[in-house]
Amino acid sequence: MSFREKTAWITLITLIVTSLLFILHPPLQLTLAPEPDFFSLHVLLLSIATFVVIEIVAIVVVRMRSPRDAKAPLDERERLIVLKARSLAWYVLATSSLGSVMVTIHLGANELGLAYCVLISFVLSLMVNYAARIVYYRRGA
Amino acid sequence: MTGTAITNTIRKLRFERNEMTQQDLAERVGVTRQTINAIELGKYSPSLEVAFRIAAVFGVRLEEVFSHDGGIPEPRGAAR
Repeated sequence: MSFREKTAWITLITLIVTSLLFILHPPLQLTLAPEPDFFSLHVLLLSIATFVVIEIVAIVVVRMRSPRDAKAPLDERERLIVLKARSLAWYVLATSSLGSVMVTIHLGANELGLAYCVLISFVLSLMVNYAARIVYYRRGA
Repeated sequence: MTGTAITNTIRKLRFERNEMTQQDLAERVGVTRQTINAIELGKYSPSLEVAFRIAAVFGVRLEEVFSHDGGIPEPRGAAR
């Protein structure tokens, strides 16, 4: 497995774990109009900090294990993989962001509900981006 | 891109050059080992530039490395 495929796995798994950390925290407000809640805000900040720390530590470890791979610039196949994955993720981001606006307008979400929907859209598109990279790396391009 | 109509003789050419490794070839061509592996297995069709560089490393002509298996489709609206 190449260095870049390993980093894609690390990012995808870290995203899933830290997203679950936030989504499953009690008290869970599964509503479109959640009340402002400082505990949830702190859990969100903790999730983001956890993501950054795990990502940095894991990538530094992988870099140390394969320094030559890590220093090599992207070649044409890897650039194509990045572009194809980003293109797919863009569709997810555009669709889910539009969905967030529709939810706000038609289902009466408040500002915090909209912010959560946009955050979920962003994280979902990142997940699709890195999952697509892994699939393309496995398939060849 | 899973499987292309382009076939290649990279494996054979590597074997004939004292079993050159994919890593050696990748370094000389300027791509990653995984890309050479994907090209060799027919999972990825390289750009013309990389194809020419691979041929140059082996010191052979491009068509001795790569060949196209499928027929060439007729352009739309071509007169019969």
